[in-house]
Amino acid sequence: MVDLVTVEVIKGGLIYTAEEMGIALRNSSYSHNIKERMDHSCAIFDSDKRLIAQAEHIPVHLGSMGLAVKQGLSVFEGELQRGDMILFNDPYISGTHLPDITLIAPVFYRDEVIAYVANKAHHSDVGGKVPGSLAGDATELFQEGIIIPPVKFVKKGVFDREILEIIKFNVRVPDIRVGDLRAQAAANNVGINRILGLVEKYGLKNFKESTQKIMDYSERRMRNEIRKMPEGVYTAEDYLESTGVEEKIVKIKVRITINGSEINFDYTGTDPQVRGPLNAPLGVTMSGVYYTLMAVTDPTIPVNDGCYRPVELYVPRGCLMNPVKPAPVAGGNVETSQRNVDVLLKAFSKVIPGKVCAGSQGTMNNICVGGIDEENRPWAFYETLAGGMGGRPGLDGLDGVHVHMTNTMNTPIEALEKSYPLRFISYRLRDNSGGPGKWRGGCGVERSWKLISPSATLSILAERTKIPPWGLNGGEPGAKGEFYIVKRSGERVKLKSKCTVTIEKGDTFVARTPGGGGYGNPFERNPEKVLRDFLNGLVSKESARKHYGVVVRGNELDKEETMKLRQVKVLNP
Amino acid sequence: MSFRVGIDVGGTFTDLVALNSETGEIINIKVPTVTKKISRGVANALNEFLGFKRVRRITLLIHATTIATNAILGQLGLELPKAGFITTKGFRDVIEIGRQNRPELYNLFVQKPRPLIPRRYRFEVSERIGAKGEVIEPLKKSELDQVILKIKREGISTVAIGLLNSYINPKHEVDIEREIRRRVNGVFVSASYKVSPEYREYERFSSTVVNAVLMPIVSVYMEELIGEVKEIAGEISFYVMQSNGGMASALSICERPISMIESGPAAGVVASAYYGELLGLKNILSFDMGGTTAKAGIVIENRPMLTHEYEVGGRVHKGRIVKGSGYPVRFPFIDLAECSAGGGTIAWIDEGGALRVGPVSAGADPGPACYGKGGENPTVTDANLVIGRLNPNYLLGGKMKIHRELAERALKEKICAETGLSMEKAAMGIIKIANSEMAKILRIVSVERGYDPRIFNMIAFGGAGPMHACPLAEELGISRIIVPLNPGLFSALGLLTSNLSHSFSRAIMEKAHEIDVERVEEVFEGMESKGKEILVREGVQEGEIIYLREMDVRYVGQSYELTVTVPKPLTQGTLELVKEMFHEKHRSVYGYSVRGEDVEFVNARLTAIGKLGKPKLMEKEAKKPGGINVSPETIRPVFFEEADGYIDCPVYLREKLPNGFMVSGPAILEQYDTTTVVYPKWDAEIDKYGNVILKFRGNGF
Repeated sequence: MVDLVTVEVIKGGLIYTAEEMGIALRNSSYSHNIKERMDHSCAIFDSDKRLIAQAEHIPVHLGSMGLAVKQGLSVFEGELQRGDMILFNDPYISGTHLPDITLIAPVFYRDEVIAYVANKAHHSDVGGKVPGSLAGDATELFQEGIIIPPVKFVKKGVFDREILEIIKFNVRVPDIRVGDLRAQAAANNVGINRILGLVEKYGLKNFKESTQKIMDYSERRMRNEIRKMPEGVYTAEDYLESTGVEEKIVKIKVRITINGSEINFDYTGTDPQVRGPLNAPLGVTMSGVYYTLMAVTDPTIPVNDGCYRPVELYVPRGCLMNPVKPAPVAGGNVETSQRNVDVLLKAFSKVIPGKVCAGSQGTMNNICVGGIDEENRPWAFYETLAGGMGGRPGLDGLDGVHVHMTNTMNTPIEALEKSYPLRFISYRLRDNSGGPGKWRGGCGVERSWKLISPSATLSILAERTKIPPWGLNGGEPGAKGEFYIVKRSGERVKLKSKCTVTIEKGDTFVARTPGGGGYGNPFERNPEKVLRDFLNGLVSKESARKHYGVVVRGNELDKEETMKLRQVKVLNP
Repeated sequence: MSFRVGIDVGGTFTDLVALNSETGEIINIKVPTVTKKISRGVANALNEFLGFKRVRRITLLIHATTIATNAILGQLGLELPKAGFITTKGFRDVIEIGRQNRPELYNLFVQKPRPLIPRRYRFEVSERIGAKGEVIEPLKKSELDQVILKIKREGISTVAIGLLNSYINPKHEVDIEREIRRRVNGVFVSASYKVSPEYREYERFSSTVVNAVLMPIVSVYMEELIGEVKEIAGEISFYVMQSNGGMASALSICERPISMIESGPAAGVVASAYYGELLGLKNILSFDMGGTTAKAGIVIENRPMLTHEYEVGGRVHKGRIVKGSGYPVRFPFIDLAECSAGGGTIAWIDEGGALRVGPVSAGADPGPACYGKGGENPTVTDANLVIGRLNPNYLLGGKMKIHRELAERALKEKICAETGLSMEKAAMGIIKIANSEMAKILRIVSVERGYDPRIFNMIAFGGAGPMHACPLAEELGISRIIVPLNPGLFSALGLLTSNLSHSFSRAIMEKAHEIDVERVEEVFEGMESKGKEILVREGVQEGEIIYLREMDVRYVGQSYELTVTVPKPLTQGTLELVKEMFHEKHRSVYGYSVRGEDVEFVNARLTAIGKLGKPKLMEKEAKKPGGINVSPETIRPVFFEEADGYIDCPVYLREKLPNGFMVSGPAILEQYDTTTVVYPKWDAEIDKYGNVILKFRGNGF
């Protein structure tokens, strides 16, 4: 039997390998979205296609990858050879949306597949009706870009030229796609080599036994955590504000049942799938459940298949969280996924109140813009914007940060201005946007730029412009998001949270992202903290008075007035 | 006799190492660090040193300190000065938002580092430079006037300036810098075009802000220290070790304090480079294992490897800085990977029943259980002790008593009882887990940077390095290890072997097919004359200056560059050579290169090195070749996994071993500050300087 120490060494070695794959992918890629924003994820699976290690990348990718590997490889049973890699992006197989292209490689030791390495990278354009491939008004999957079923894209180490040509002919900036695909293959090669190194060092038998033990270990720790939760049934619901096609709210409902060391998530009661692109394939729903579970238990448990063994999931087929093909899904991955976490956290706030934050920005604020520049070259650019994190028991929410299901970086403005016809006007925190609370919600951001080339197409896919992020335990909601264009004439045109519009040369696009909800009664917030926020320009004098009962005179606290104001509130709530 | 003196101020001890320039004699002094007044500890060490009879004169004093890191981390009671930041209108929060990511994925209670300059002291002015360097909007003087008024009113003592696209055209930064210097008395100023003239605004602004915040602290510190030294030892040349491994005058350090943030750890790699040169070895893997951490770095062609990505105060995960956990600083740092594996690192069983080592350390107090100072947790040192690798009775040549039974008890209670492992298996497990963490950092600095570890010789030092070196070298396929004379003082020796060095960089941003070679050559020459000017001011003869040219290169469309050496002069012809080197390097790092693809030259880098005469080490008396027989002090059973049991090992006292002595492992070599474990399959030999050379024999035992 393999000893404890070898297991530990192999566990560390596998996690490290996944991280190394990520570095190779980033450093050799071509698109800003991967090289600057790191919108990609890497993971390792055992020969039964169960997750054994992952790198800390993007939760929505990671949680869905297990499903992707199982489904994507099913047609190649027994057909894989050394040096082959399988490529696909069909969300009904890969679990997320079309821009996320998955590449999986078997790891052969002698003649046996002993593991799989996989990575998922968000390509900034995969064709479809708008540059960036995130059309807020799509009504069918076919409008969202090229659909690639699982295909043997790399055969014995060589790219399949014909498949590559088909992809190149269907996307807007083909050369960059090729560079990024090459980087994805490089990442898998790094993974294969490292795993073979481990097997050679410790022997195949020890390697296999270790991977089982690694999963059992995580399972044990997760069960311990669940056992600590009070048994019972807990429900919560939250809403999407529109579907991109219909102006109606859409409900997500979850019922969590805790029973010993088992936990069940039931989405019965969630609205049916919608016409617009907000449907969340099952992979997205699963990744939200997995993320939330890790976040509210113990984030130091090594993430692998074992963590998820105590989890049972039921999502009715045909509902928003488990749609039927060919429903459009571009926004499920980026928007519905965030609302899913909001719903789950709301439910958990009833189970383990001290371990949950208030509602965070609840969106990724996807912005795609592209067109033809002055030298007649096509360009397409995609980014997501940070916002406020919800207030937490004992801590303010973080200002201007990506929350929950994503953690991509921003692209440096100096890099963007060099590559695209954009001139940035502002990038700053939004004042008065953090939800008031004893622990304030984080502030959203403002990011704006002016178009300096002929007209371009701008698509927005976002949320929380109508229903703000919720406060918790007496905290107030955060500010809603807003998007608008300031025309050359000075006219201000408000944009919907999901839209595709034409933007003209000289127009300025402004995005203002939501703040996080507050936690706890704002009248109990330490007045010194309110003063500091005021001095830093994040909370106005009026808001300090109205929301926090804190009176500021000049740059000083008026302690007496503050005390009076706060007492009145206690007397007349 | 005249001496060259290195003083390394650490958290607990201030080390002084002095080298007699004529005879090669080395004097070591260790005094407690005086945390409240660092210069006091330095003075104590100097006074003790000057008490030696044969000391006449100090020719050069070289200093390493962690004051910059401590200041940023809020340690040692150092308070950060009131600092201000001036930036382009609309962008004052760039340094707060950073790269918008959070440093941990699943932790809902994650924290980000607080901005070093609060929002209310971050000021905006209307101005704009475009991406090509064109002036889009002129600097609005009236707004600058307002800002200057505020700076005066608030009593801000140091100002950082960072404007968008200033890396390509610094005009407005220059204007602001001049106005502030002219109108605000005694204020410190750092402008981003000087501190880090490369693209990516967040990293540039952050470097500038860190520099600005450190300037007043470091200036005061240096002034005090130099005053103190002058009083004791008279007028002597005073230099400071920088993070890039070169030294700089105190004056240059005060202007660019970000250059010395990792001053201490850099010294170990510098010492390795020097040793390699001495022994005729070009490529060295530097492995330093101390009480709380282990550090790895590499030396290629006699030069320490540098990196340009670094975050001050950042958390380390798997040997790498976690992005967003600290304050990015762009300045060449000796590329070090670090992990929590030292002699004092604690082993424990976690909730899921797994054996873990670190990250918590027992430190020096209470220290490992065997110290008998109340430590109850088993550490790596305890593990080494119970399986016979350390002397069971004492350390430090008898100066410090240790207690094997306490180590056994700690292991038994904390590890064996929980897991059912035998004592030996538990101890071996701890050592192996620590080793696997260390193997990772050795791999990060070698394999991951595109170097085959088999090209290296390893230098193992620090108090615990020589005990763990053999299995690590074996894992990486390295067949030769050097254990220097005094492994515990090896880092401090690095201070005496460094050169004066200044690094510069300029953005180039041109594609290979459209590059203006003459312009780039001019850029290099400009940086060279700047380097020369500084070095000559520091007293270096022109003939003793070496210039090292490099460029950051990538394929058009990529964002991460590889650094390659550039020949002088740069011509169309030599440029082809540079391209070829880039393709090769890309292939070795990422497994492919694309020869048809256009490449882009991003930054030009220049290091100006002022060579100082190197110290010589004393050669031991030559003995006849063929090995000399010395009988072991004792025979001790030591556990080795290879034998799955104890093997009787000869134990030698290292200072008694003559030049040319040879022994086949397994064997133990004890000395004052460390123990060398010669594993089975390894041979040990003493060279003419008294170093232990370990060679892989490979054919069992």
